[in-house]
Amino acid sequence: MPPAADNLGNDMRKIAALLTLLPLLAGCAPQGTVEITDYWVKSSEMSTQGGMTAVYGTITNTTGDDVVLIGGSTDAAGVVEVHQMSMIGGEMKMQEIDGGLVIPAGQSVTLEPGGDHLMLMMLKTDVVAGGTIEVLFDFEGAEDIILSDVVGKPAEGGDEEYHSGEMEMDN
Amino acid sequence: MLRWMTLLTDDISRLASGEPILADPNPELAIGAARFSAYVGFGPSLFRKLGLESQMPSGFGPLPSFKVDQLQDQFSGGDVLIHIAADDPIVLSHGTRGLIRDSLPFASVRYSQSGFAHTPGMVPAGLTHRNLMGQVDGTANPKPGSEDFNEVVWIEDGPAWIQGGTQLVFRRIAMQLNTWDQLGTASKEEVIGRKLSNGAPLTGVNEEDAPDFAARHPNGLTVIPDFAHIRRASPQNVTDRMFRRPFSYEASPASDGTPDVGLLWTAYQRDMTKQFIPVQRRLDELDLLNEWTVPIGSAEFAIAGGIARGEIIAQALFS
Ligand code: HEM
Ligand SMILES: [Cu+2]
Repeated sequence: MPPAADNLGNDMRKIAALLTLLPLLAGCAPQGTVEITDYWVKSSEMSTQGGMTAVYGTITNTTGDDVVLIGGSTDAAGVVEVHQMSMIGGEMKMQEIDGGLVIPAGQSVTLEPGGDHLMLMMLKTDVVAGGTIEVLFDFEGAEDIILSDVVGKPAEGGDEEYHSGEMEMDN
Repeated sequence: MLRWMTLLTDDISRLASGEPILADPNPELAIGAARFSAYVGFGPSLFRKLGLESQMPSGFGPLPSFKVDQLQDQFSGGDVLIHIAADDPIVLSHGTRGLIRDSLPFASVRYSQSGFAHTPGMVPAGLTHRNLMGQVDGTANPKPGSEDFNEVVWIEDGPAWIQGGTQLVFRRIAMQLNTWDQLGTASKEEVIGRKLSNGAPLTGVNEEDAPDFAARHPNGLTVIPDFAHIRRASPQNVTDRMFRRPFSYEASPASDGTPDVGLLWTAYQRDMTKQFIPVQRRLDELDLLNEWTVPIGSAEFAIAGGIARGEIIAQALFS
């Protein structure tokens, strides 16, 4: 008997019904760790060899001390920096965060388009939709974290405006 | 294709549990699962484009044309189908946007056809839904979960990727309600062979009563007429059955008020050549319902079997 059959509801929600049965990934980190969840890298027309992109995700710090994201590395890019977006002269611009991004004790910080991000510049390979790259997050006050399956997601907007503009000058 | 399926698999599993997808620009719209579900199907044209014809399940291919067809390109064909359903329209719209966004590096949108069934709770559990002609629609279906259903719907052999999967025939069928509405109740019931009130066969009392196709009126005429839809569509042998899952659609009415409604008619089966096609041929020959229904869109898709955690939809097909 085909394995899918028993998972059918009282209508044809079959294949997706299987997916609904997937157990949720356990969400709670053990006490006292730094964890990165829901991470991804932007795939766009800019994320080709020589170009740039950014890595996003949620960093959760359940230790008793602040930790600081000071940088990172990946085979996919020549330069990796921790960036923030801010209003400069009435325009949203991104710049490196002096001293890195603080994740206060017991809190989460989300890296998202239009906000803080781990910037990848001078890409050595194309970052494609549905492909994965490995990224190391460099922390002060905690172990570094290596994510081996950061998936490329098609995304618009966010920091793109700036990328095409003054990016090169500021960095 | 595999990268595309990787993204869709992750998106669908998150949406089905009511979570925002990765990189969701509007995560606040992930307000709940609302029985969100989606599956992906592949049309004959995709197999051709990728040179994967040898991976097509048995009996699968472009449908022949039928006399009743008045097919329009804008509602027909397609390389890849994403069939998305949810009980809440906001959840549906948000989920659809995400799945389309993650598909754009790989494809463009050929059509999007939206349909609906009853609001949950409107029809008591166990009662079949009504289509926009007023008929109880979906009665004589194999019962999901039954051995019978498994045999009608799920593919057991052929290429590995399709085992546990199925074949979908999708038809957009317009209803001519203005002329249908001119019929009296008795005539409408004869066209189908079932009662409008509760969907019982004209030879029975309850919806689930088996129709008696041999029963005759005292005057000698069959109670379920020779032209009746269920007489023509009912199985003539052990194989020509399928699982029908119709949704209604409604587009804007014309300026004179003529409604633009019908069915997004879907049928799932192991082998469309043995199941859908012979039935449609019989209906093409004779079925009084054809006077008020016109197929205006048509497509067929092969649907991969269900997956477990860590697997990717149709992985074996595209690896
Ligand atoms: C707008 C178009 C259609 C309408 C309004 C319609 C409506 C109905 C209704 C009211 C029934 C009786 C209740 C039930 O068993 O579900 C029925 C039965 C059925 N219809 Fe249709 N139908 C349409 C198109 C089709 C097509 C295109 C096919 C297949 C080629 C089809 C195949 C069947 C079958 C197999 C049955 C069950 C017959 C039996 O074994 O009793 N229908 N349909
Ligand atoms: Cu940046």
